[in-house]
Amino acid sequence: MALLSVRNLHARVGDKDILKGINLEVGAGEVHAIMGPNGSGKSTLASVLAGRDAYTVTQGEVLLDGKPILELAPEARAAEGVFLAFQYPVEIPGVGNLHFLRTALNAQRRVKGLEELDAMDFLQLAKEKSKLVQLDQAFMNRSVNEGFSGGEKKRNEVFQMAVLEPRLAILDETDSGLDIDALRTVAGGVNGLRSPQRAMVVITHYQRLLDYIVPDHVHVMAAGRIVRSGGRELALELEEKGYGWLGLDGARR
Amino acid sequence: MTSGLTRYVDVATRFQAREAAVPAWLARMRQEGLAHFARLGLPTTRDEAWKYTNVAPIADGAFAPVSSVRDAAELAAVVARLALPGPRLVFVDGRLAPELSSVEGLARGVSLKPLRDAWAEDGAWLAEELGQRALAAEHAFTALNAALLEDGAVLRLAPRALSETPVQLLFLSRGDAPVLASPRVLVVAGEGSEATLVETYASVTGGSGPTFTNAVTEVTLGDNASLKHYRLQSEGDSALHVGGLHVRQGRDSRFASHSFALGGALARTEVQVALMGEGADATLNGLYVGRGTQHLDQRTALDHAVPNCTSRELYKGVLDDRARGTFHGLVRVRQDAQHTDARQQNRNLLLSEHAQADTRPQLEIFADDVKCAHGAAVGRLDAQALFYLRSRGIPRAEAERLLTYAFARELVEAVPEGPVRASVEGLLAPRLPGAARTEVAA
Repeated sequence: MALLSVRNLHARVGDKDILKGINLEVGAGEVHAIMGPNGSGKSTLASVLAGRDAYTVTQGEVLLDGKPILELAPEARAAEGVFLAFQYPVEIPGVGNLHFLRTALNAQRRVKGLEELDAMDFLQLAKEKSKLVQLDQAFMNRSVNEGFSGGEKKRNEVFQMAVLEPRLAILDETDSGLDIDALRTVAGGVNGLRSPQRAMVVITHYQRLLDYIVPDHVHVMAAGRIVRSGGRELALELEEKGYGWLGLDGARR
Repeated sequence: MTSGLTRYVDVATRFQAREAAVPAWLARMRQEGLAHFARLGLPTTRDEAWKYTNVAPIADGAFAPVSSVRDAAELAAVVARLALPGPRLVFVDGRLAPELSSVEGLARGVSLKPLRDAWAEDGAWLAEELGQRALAAEHAFTALNAALLEDGAVLRLAPRALSETPVQLLFLSRGDAPVLASPRVLVVAGEGSEATLVETYASVTGGSGPTFTNAVTEVTLGDNASLKHYRLQSEGDSALHVGGLHVRQGRDSRFASHSFALGGALARTEVQVALMGEGADATLNGLYVGRGTQHLDQRTALDHAVPNCTSRELYKGVLDDRARGTFHGLVRVRQDAQHTDARQQNRNLLLSEHAQADTRPQLEIFADDVKCAHGAAVGRLDAQALFYLRSRGIPRAEAERLLTYAFARELVEAVPEGPVRASVEGLLAPRLPGAARTEVAA
């Protein structure tokens, strides 16, 4: 059974249809890349999977380990193991980065019937996980993402992922706004979190990220549908030829 | 309203007859207070200063002062919970409870006395000082407080006296009778002296009836004196409260007011600061947190009368359910007050569709070489931030609480770490969204 099954998913925002029948099966241990031009619906798919309420699902279903999740609140999906690394992580002044993350981890642990971590144990865990993305201790004590550079925000997302250990990680354009060094660090962190129990969906506009996070499968989205799927070589083909050769104009009709 | 006025006049007249054994100057002050009150009448929403606050619950209630403190001993546990380490006076329904009070540990040159002791021991001095900052002729509730003057506290700092431990005044309302409490506080800080004063207003669990506290605090700061003043108003859900804080600052003096208005069905806090000596600095911080049908009204007035003074004002409101919060902040810069530097901010967070915030920042500037800025905002919790927190597994109520606390935090953190901060946090926590909705008495 696939870890993530997306079946005939349709979604809209306001009266505008954005997703028009997405089908996607992601197995445990697999990394899938979703590519496509701007406006193809990639970020909408990420948001719908995470449960953002601005989007209305009009058809289809999403199963996590065979269990439907579309009816669940975002926090319940997170407890089931869904993690979205945001394209634009929100700055939250006044909420300490570590306090926020401990609150999140403990909320998830409560749902799972696990004992909550006290401040000391959590600090230990956070220190260990922060090494993965070389996140400085100083960032942990600041307000969530407040005043962070683009690269720091993305590293913070991967750091949160490392602490929360999701079943399904969705990375929404994690490469956007990163220089090559930051990209390597972030990708290195993500690679460190690859595991046979975890699935990853990497959404990206450019092939560049996939030099560092090598996907098992590549899908191309256009106009709310997946128009082509293949192995990692598909990404290279896209890099070479652009999106035009796929006949995406046809897909838009 | 007229019947309300008549009833209060009647109550005050009977009180003055009953409590007649006082010095002549005090009897006269009471009588004048009563005369001013009768002339001014209870305010209505037609009065500009009371446009957003209808005092009908105060006018309609059968409130009267009590004649003695009953069963003070049973309050020891409540006092233990709310008391800060250090000297304190405790008042129950407006009357001093000596057995719950202790003025041990006062620093040299610092005197903290119950008002009655002060009028017995320093009558001539008190007669000169009392009623100088809070003017009965101009304010109905100040006049009513003067008419019913009987208990309170006098904090006096000798020149250069330094009181490192906060001095606390704890005012408890019982709520098992419609009691009217009229505490009066006087602070006179000599040149170069320094102190921290905490006024805590709380209800005693168990009483469910309405109480009415009409408090007046007067502060005079000598040259280069410094006072940190904390006002923690966290009475029960049926309490009515009007509180005035009137401050006059001398040259190079520093005054910081931290007002936390958290409780009460109807609560109004007025802070008036007159900067009368060059180089004086005033900070006015305020946080008001309302839910249910609470009505919380803050009014501040900063009067820059002389050159080279600074003022900083930050008030924030958090309003849930059908609560209503109002802020009116006046900064007046007189013609002579060149080089004034004044900043005022009011920000409000609405947590429900039905909560309401009215904000009226107001600048009156008659000098030309000044720096003055003000701003006001009313907003809701940021939907993106809320989703971000929830996407990490934090349940909605907890996420709302986190974001609300983040909004309020600036004002909590303006309180230096220590027992006062802990007390503020302890009173605030049950008032934030997601906390149990039972009547929280303190």
